[in-house]
Amino acid sequence: MDAFVTHRGKVAVLDWSDVNTDLIIPARYLTRVERTGYGTLLFADKRYVADGSPSAENPLQHGDLAPDFPINRGEFRDATILLVGKNFGCGSSREHAVWAVAQAGFRVVIAPGLGEGFADIFEGNSFNNGLLPIELPDDSWKRLVDQLRAGGEMTIDLQNKTVTSHAPGSPEQTFAFEVPEENRQRLLKGLDFIAETLLEEPAINAYEKNAPAWAAAIG
Amino acid sequence: MPSSLFEKVWNRHEVLNRGQASLLYIDRHLVHEVTSPQAFDGLRLSGRKVRRPDLTFATLDHNVPTENQLDIREPMSRRQVEVMRANCKEFGVTLYDIGSGRQGIVHVIGPELGLTLPGLTIVCGDSHTSTHGAFGSLAFGIGTSEVEHVLATQTLWQGSKPKALGVEVTGRLAPGLEPKDIILAVIRELGTGGGTGYVIEYFGEAIRALSMEGRMTICNMSIEGGARAGLIAPDDVTFEYLASGNRPFSPKGKAFDHAVADWKTLTTDDPSAFDRLVTIDASKIVPQVTWGTNPAMTVDVTGRIPEPEHVPFASKEDARRALDYMGLTPGTPITEVAVDVVFIGSCTNGRIEDLRTAARVFQGRKVAPTVRALIVPGSEEVREQAIAEGLDRVFIDAGAEWRQAGCSMCLAMNPDKLTPGQRSASTSNRNFEGRQGPGGRTHLVSPAMAAAAAVAGHFTDVRELLPAH
Repeated sequence: MDAFVTHRGKVAVLDWSDVNTDLIIPARYLTRVERTGYGTLLFADKRYVADGSPSAENPLQHGDLAPDFPINRGEFRDATILLVGKNFGCGSSREHAVWAVAQAGFRVVIAPGLGEGFADIFEGNSFNNGLLPIELPDDSWKRLVDQLRAGGEMTIDLQNKTVTSHAPGSPEQTFAFEVPEENRQRLLKGLDFIAETLLEEPAINAYEKNAPAWAAAIG
Repeated sequence: MPSSLFEKVWNRHEVLNRGQASLLYIDRHLVHEVTSPQAFDGLRLSGRKVRRPDLTFATLDHNVPTENQLDIREPMSRRQVEVMRANCKEFGVTLYDIGSGRQGIVHVIGPELGLTLPGLTIVCGDSHTSTHGAFGSLAFGIGTSEVEHVLATQTLWQGSKPKALGVEVTGRLAPGLEPKDIILAVIRELGTGGGTGYVIEYFGEAIRALSMEGRMTICNMSIEGGARAGLIAPDDVTFEYLASGNRPFSPKGKAFDHAVADWKTLTTDDPSAFDRLVTIDASKIVPQVTWGTNPAMTVDVTGRIPEPEHVPFASKEDARRALDYMGLTPGTPITEVAVDVVFIGSCTNGRIEDLRTAARVFQGRKVAPTVRALIVPGSEEVREQAIAEGLDRVFIDAGAEWRQAGCSMCLAMNPDKLTPGQRSASTSNRNFEGRQGPGGRTHLVSPAMAAAAAVAGHFTDVRELLPAH
C-alpha cells in the first residue's frame, strides 16, 4: 500500500445521502476475479448515457458520460477528492466499491457527521486500500460544499490532521479532523497489515491453546 | 459494571488490546465465490497459507443459476465458480459445492451445518453475516482485504469497540405478521444509518417467541439499519435447534452439555449496559411494505406513498429521486401498486419456515396472470425439506416457479433479475436502485405479503387472506 502523508488535488461534489455500494458498483461487475480494472465501473449505472455502462469483461469500453450526473461536470474533471453525503457506502460489504472509487483516481472521501458519515464496513475497507475517509462536523462540511460546488482544490494533511480548501476568489478554510490513530499510522507508513499481525503469532498461538473445546469445528 | 452480551463475546475473543484497536480471534470464517478470489490471490503473491483451514468453510451461492444450478452459461460467473473450487483445493478449504446436498446461501448453510454456535466470532466477506448473530454469536461482514487477513492469521483488527444498542420488542405479533415486519419496522424507526457504530441486541417478549428462522431474519437485516452485527441471547429455542436436525458441526454428548452451560452465561446483565435503547411494541406493527430506494423508506400496508417533504431521514431531493426512480405518485395507496414479479427467497427469507408461510397463502389460490412468481429455497437442504412436506406441489399448482438453491433475485449476479421498469414484491433485504437488475423497482415485504401480492397482482393486506381466528 502506498503511504499517504499530504495530498493536494481537485474536488468533486456528490452530496446525496445514503449512497449505497450497489450504486457505487452494481453487483453484475462482481464476477471479476481481479483486483484492478474497477475505475470505469464507478457509478456505472449513473455515470454513462443510457446503455452506455461497460460490460464486466470490457470495463474500458463504455458510452459517453451522462451530463447530468454530478461528478461528470467539467469543473470536477480529474478530481482526486470526493465530497459526499451522509452514510456513504452503506449496504453490501463489497470492497469492489472502494476499489472503484480509488481506481477512478480518488484518494480522499469527505462526508458529513462525526460517526455517521460513512458506513462501518466501507470505512474499514477504505483504510485498508489507502483511500482516506474523513468525517467532518455537518456545518464544516456544508461550508466546504458551498465553497467548492463550482470546483476548486483542497489540501489534506494527514500528519497534522487538517483539510484546507482552495477555491478561486474566496478565502481558504481549514478544518481539523480525527481518524483512528492506528489507521493513521498505517496510512502514513503504508504498512502491510498482515505482515504486522504475523509478528503477533505467539499471542495468537496462546489464544488458540486456551480456546474452549466446544468451539472447535469437528464434523 | 453490567456488561452486554456483545461485550462478553467481544472480550472473550481479544487476543490483544492496544487501547485504540483490538486483535480479535475469529472462530469461523465463511467464504463465498464473489469476495474471496482477490484474497486468495494475495496469499499466493506473498507465499502465505490459510492458517486454519479447519475453521474455514466455503460454498457457492451468488452466481449459481437457480433454474439449473449446473448450467452456468455466463462465462465470467463460470470462471468465478471455477476459481473458488481451485482455491479451496489448493488451500485445503472445505467446499459445499453444488449438488453436495449442503450447498446454499452461506448464511443459510452455516446454521444448518451447526457451524454457527453461541459465543463464537463469525466473519464472511458479506454484509449479511449479521444473520448468525441470532445464535448469540458476534458475526459481521468484512471486506476482501480483511478476508485475506483472516485467512492468513485467523484474526482481525478492530478499531474502537462498537457501542451496544438495545432494541426491545415488547408484546406479541398479531396473526399474519412476521419477523420481517418487525425488522422493517425497526429500520423505519432507526433510519438506514441509525445503527452505524453500534452492534444491536434484540430482546423482549416478541423476540423470545420467535423460532431460530425468525430470529435469523431479524439479525440478517441489522446491516440495513447501519449496524454491522445484531445479536439475540441464546435460550432453549437456540439449544433445541442445535441439538436437532443433521448438524454435523454442532457439539455432541458431553461436549454439548458443557457448551450449553457456558452459553447460558451469554446474556446482557442489565439494560443499563446498553449505550442506547429503543423500544418497539410488536402488537402495534401491521404488515410493512417499502416504497423507496432504501429499506427505511417504508409504509404500513394500510398507508399511502408519502409526499417527498414528509420522508424521515431523507432530504426532499433524496426523497424525490427515490419517488422518480420507483415511478410512484405521492398519495397513492400502496395497495393500488401493481407488481410484475414476486421473489420469495434469499438469506433473509429463504428458510423452511418462510416457505411454509408462503405456501399457506398460496394453498388453493393461483398466481395472478400478470405476475411471475419465483420461489427459491435458500439451500439444498431447505429444498429437500420443502419437497418432503409437499410445499413444492403447492407452489407449482399455484403457478409459481419452484427453483433450486442460490441467492437468485436478491442481487443481479445470476440469470434471475428484473428487466428495466419491472416492479417486484421481494422478501430479500435491499431495495436499492438496480439491486435486482438495472432499472428494476423493488419493494421489500414478508413472505406472506409477497405471496399475497402474487395472488392479487398488487400489494394487498395478507391479513384479509388468512382464515379467521
